[in-house]
Amino acid sequence: MSVETATVRRSASTGFAARTFATYGQEFIILACIVVLFVAVGLIAPRFISPTNLTTIFVGNAYIAVAAIGMSMVIISGHIDVSVGSLIGVLATISGTLAVSGYPVWFAWLAPVIVGMVVTSFIGVLVAYVRIPSIVVTLGMLSILKGGLISVTGGAWITNLPPDYLIAQFRLFGIPSPVWFMIALTALAAMFMRYTAFGRSIYAIGGNGEAARVAGIPVERTTVTIFAIHGLFAGIAAVLFATQLQVIQSTVPPNLELTVITASVVGGVSILGGTGTVVGSTLAAILFAAIGSSLIFLNVSAYWLRAVQGLLILATVLADMARRHRIG
Amino acid sequence: MTLSLRSFMRHEAVLGILLVLVLFVLAQQSDKFFTTANILNQGRLMTEIGLIALPMTFVIITGGIDLSVGSILGLCAILLGVFWQNLGLPLPAAMALAVCVGALAGLVNGLIITRFKVPPLIATLATLALYRGLAEGISQARSVRGYPEWFFVLGQGEVLGVPTQLWILIVFAIGAAAILGLTTFGRATYAVGANETAARFSGINVDRTKLLIYTASGLVSGIAAVIFVSRVSTTRSDMGTGVELDVITAVVLGGTSIFGGRGTIIGTVVGLILVQALKNGLALSGVKGDGTIVVIGVVLIFAILASNLFSRNGDG
Amino acid sequence: MTATPATSSETPPPLVELRNTSKTFGGIKVLKNVGFDVRPGEVHALLGENGAGKSTLIKILSGFHTPDEGGEIRVNGRPVSFSSPRDARKAGIATVYQELLLFPDMTVAENIFIGHAPRAGMGALDWNEMRRRARALLDDLDSHDLDVDARVGGLSVANRQRVEIAKALSQDARLLIMDEPTASLADADVRRLLDVVRRLRERGVAIIYISHRMPEIFALADRVTVLRDGSLIGTKDIEEVDDASLVSMMVGRSIDQLFPKVVVPIGAPVLELRKVSFKDEVQDISLTLRAGEILGIAGLVGSGRTELALTIFGITPATSGEILLNGRPVTIRSPQQARDLGIAYVPEDRGLQGLVKPQTIRENVSMALLDRISKGSIVDRVKESALARDAIARFGIRARGPEQRAGQLSGGNQQKVVLAKWVSTNPRVLIMDEPTRGIDVGAKSEIHALMCKLAGEGLAVIMISSELPEVLGMSDRIMVMNGGRMVRTFDRSEATPDVVGAAMTHAGASHAGGAA
Repeated sequence: MSVETATVRRSASTGFAARTFATYGQEFIILACIVVLFVAVGLIAPRFISPTNLTTIFVGNAYIAVAAIGMSMVIISGHIDVSVGSLIGVLATISGTLAVSGYPVWFAWLAPVIVGMVVTSFIGVLVAYVRIPSIVVTLGMLSILKGGLISVTGGAWITNLPPDYLIAQFRLFGIPSPVWFMIALTALAAMFMRYTAFGRSIYAIGGNGEAARVAGIPVERTTVTIFAIHGLFAGIAAVLFATQLQVIQSTVPPNLELTVITASVVGGVSILGGTGTVVGSTLAAILFAAIGSSLIFLNVSAYWLRAVQGLLILATVLADMARRHRIG
Repeated sequence: MTLSLRSFMRHEAVLGILLVLVLFVLAQQSDKFFTTANILNQGRLMTEIGLIALPMTFVIITGGIDLSVGSILGLCAILLGVFWQNLGLPLPAAMALAVCVGALAGLVNGLIITRFKVPPLIATLATLALYRGLAEGISQARSVRGYPEWFFVLGQGEVLGVPTQLWILIVFAIGAAAILGLTTFGRATYAVGANETAARFSGINVDRTKLLIYTASGLVSGIAAVIFVSRVSTTRSDMGTGVELDVITAVVLGGTSIFGGRGTIIGTVVGLILVQALKNGLALSGVKGDGTIVVIGVVLIFAILASNLFSRNGDG
Repeated sequence: MTATPATSSETPPPLVELRNTSKTFGGIKVLKNVGFDVRPGEVHALLGENGAGKSTLIKILSGFHTPDEGGEIRVNGRPVSFSSPRDARKAGIATVYQELLLFPDMTVAENIFIGHAPRAGMGALDWNEMRRRARALLDDLDSHDLDVDARVGGLSVANRQRVEIAKALSQDARLLIMDEPTASLADADVRRLLDVVRRLRERGVAIIYISHRMPEIFALADRVTVLRDGSLIGTKDIEEVDDASLVSMMVGRSIDQLFPKVVVPIGAPVLELRKVSFKDEVQDISLTLRAGEILGIAGLVGSGRTELALTIFGITPATSGEILLNGRPVTIRSPQQARDLGIAYVPEDRGLQGLVKPQTIRENVSMALLDRISKGSIVDRVKESALARDAIARFGIRARGPEQRAGQLSGGNQQKVVLAKWVSTNPRVLIMDEPTRGIDVGAKSEIHALMCKLAGEGLAVIMISSELPEVLGMSDRIMVMNGGRMVRTFDRSEATPDVVGAAMTHAGASHAGGAA
């Protein structure tokens, strides 16, 4: 009782800054990590912070951040999607195939987004109405998408992409479009999550599904919509992924689903649902991309890259758990 | 147990019907399907996944998950080669050591989960990357070959006309079923999965139970690695990539609840056979390797869907 | 608030009325042609044993269940039908549930306004307005100390309940249904809650109040309705009834002795604590517990009662001090060690800590002594089943058999299963934490009788309870705790509600002063 009285008293006087930090604590920590990393590695290897390298880092990984936005919403609502990597692979292939088959460029951009939303809505229906756990549904979906893609295309390369299709290579004010996409979509999603009733209901469903139902939130419909939005982001991510190079390999990018989930979770999204922000997941995606790149500049053998990444993920997770235990 | 047994029977019934249906259809497609040689060969192919699925059943019953098993398999395979070729250890010692490393990797998972209270999905997601990374780093993309002839008995030989590793799988499956169904440890596993707090308050050592299970998961992944290497005669660092999904599919298909507290080894074995029969039968009917994965995905979703619908009817 | 003010001289028309309402689940009629009404500005108490149909009735009123054909709900005289909780809320009916339906990771303000948050331009949520209005609502409830930005997950039960009430009021509720609101509150919080209820009544809000605690009902209610086995037994003005008549209406028989305390010879010391502490939650507790003795521990929630039990039981091992069992010093670092030393703990939260609900009675009863009924770690199923059948007979557990799932039993029978689990281990010390919380009158006295019987067999019992009458009625000795310390002990003969209550609250006041 005394402990609680103390907490209440302390927080009774919380100002705006303290409230912001309470909401975005994890985000500030990741931001600090990013800054420290860029400064430290930049001092050792100045080329690390050269515009060329920064472009490489951001253009090559913005699609992960975009996919992690939708994934964060899914995880906050208490579900998960382990099929997102396969989905992005399928959508990118669809997009590229349409582009080289002479369809208008806008159609090649739009179609994967729509297909993505259809697929994830279907997942959402199975999860929400048929009540199959999301990990089971998406595990099955992973097999279906991955197997389907490879058996249809045989992993062939799609070449001769029309130049005006390659949206990820466009620039606005000298900054590559994936960066704009990443920033704009993150900001939009963050505002959506914070300032709309629908955004809050994502947290409500993940935090306490029964209570959400009692509060009049249509849990099933909302869940399907969350998955549909996730499909929207997966579709955009797929287009950014497909258009970053002159060619597309019609396979599933290895471990993409794990990279996306990891970005969400390290960004502060609780795997148990109910907490987290999309700002955090985007920052985490940037951090991981930067770590990967910095290892090359620090002359770490490429073969050790994954081990170091794994160690860093583990360290972040453990630090986060320690922080949570201190608070909770 | 009757009620959970009844719901299991319901799921088993669905699975059984599916299995008969699948076997019937596949037998129509190819006359090679129901030959002894083919069946035994399939047993050979499913051993690694089957072995790992046994401790995975325990893991999922406790409400956890272990995504790192494929990476542990890769790491142990690489270390087997390194211990034997680079460090010059006798092969049996290298095998034992590789299995020990697997157990150690599992123990680390268990410690992260029990000591730091990291959710299993996150903990093993992190170690999935870490262990695979270690495998890649240690191997530097070099593969190890040239194992002595006797070593291949494990993965390519036969005992009494049955593939060696299938015997191992059978022994392990019986052992696992006995532990889960009959012993105090099995009871503890179910109790931890159904209500961890109540289990702790009943004097069950929850942390020790989980620690043992995750360690066993790593250990068995190590054994599977040795068999894998013996079967394919070589080691590479990407061995076992994606195995976790096949394993989890078999376990979940077998009726183990992903939320914990419910599941059996028999179910897992049936799930495993169903998956392998599908893969093999479809391949024999001319479906390309990757097409079979699609079918497995569909079967997984429909099996759970069907048993969900059945159990909802049953609950009235 | 849009409620009409209550007029005391004449009977106002009912705000909400149920007519001829029945509800059938799977062929079993759990509510039989019940008529019920509640008027603006009245507190209407709803009583009945567990399974009497109270929950079904309030779930119909709050839109969770639709009544069978033939029944009717009227609000302000007009027939309505609710197809979801949302419809009921729109009609001004809000419910504060026993298991609180809040979002632990959200702030107090957001919890209050979830689903109907104030909007600024373009439909965006207005967080500042939300916080301001939440503040006003909480001030209205005299909860000035509750921060609107605090995470609800970190709040006490009493504070969470205030958030729930504020949430109901934020929706302009004209009828507030409170399902056992005081079940897990300490006395001081109960008094505060009763004040809040009275305040709401003055404003014209109608309240349906469900509780097992008689004193509250007499302190609050204007009318009282009793249900039994799904049927309406009667609705009476509070002046027409007394304790005994209500109990007999509820159980259909009269309980002449609520606490069947049997005085048994007290034996040798079994458990001794010497200056036992756990962090600052339990401080310097020394006590001696003898065979056959029931030691009652009284204190407010958060006074360290449960924390002391958890320390003795090894969940939170002692950080200093000495524990002696039968005169020999022992170390208890885990529940396993405690169990092996013969210490049993029937925990506070039955559903979470006591039972594995999806498992059978057999599996639950054997859980703490699996090692003893197994050979070489193989569980002996025959012995196990015999054990469960024994427990069902000995503890009077009403169940279909040992293979019934524990989660399907009523609260009282679940508690008996937990008790059976621990008594089967043949303990020397039995700690019971809130042994009768949330269970009905009949089962309650059965548990009390069992407790006396066990003490009579030479068991040393520690009983922790928030219900003062229970502590006074059952204990040989009473220890009062506050702020983690033992503040006073009383013998049975000198303990009266006044002195024990004073010891609990007086110390509470000085403690709060010290903290400030």
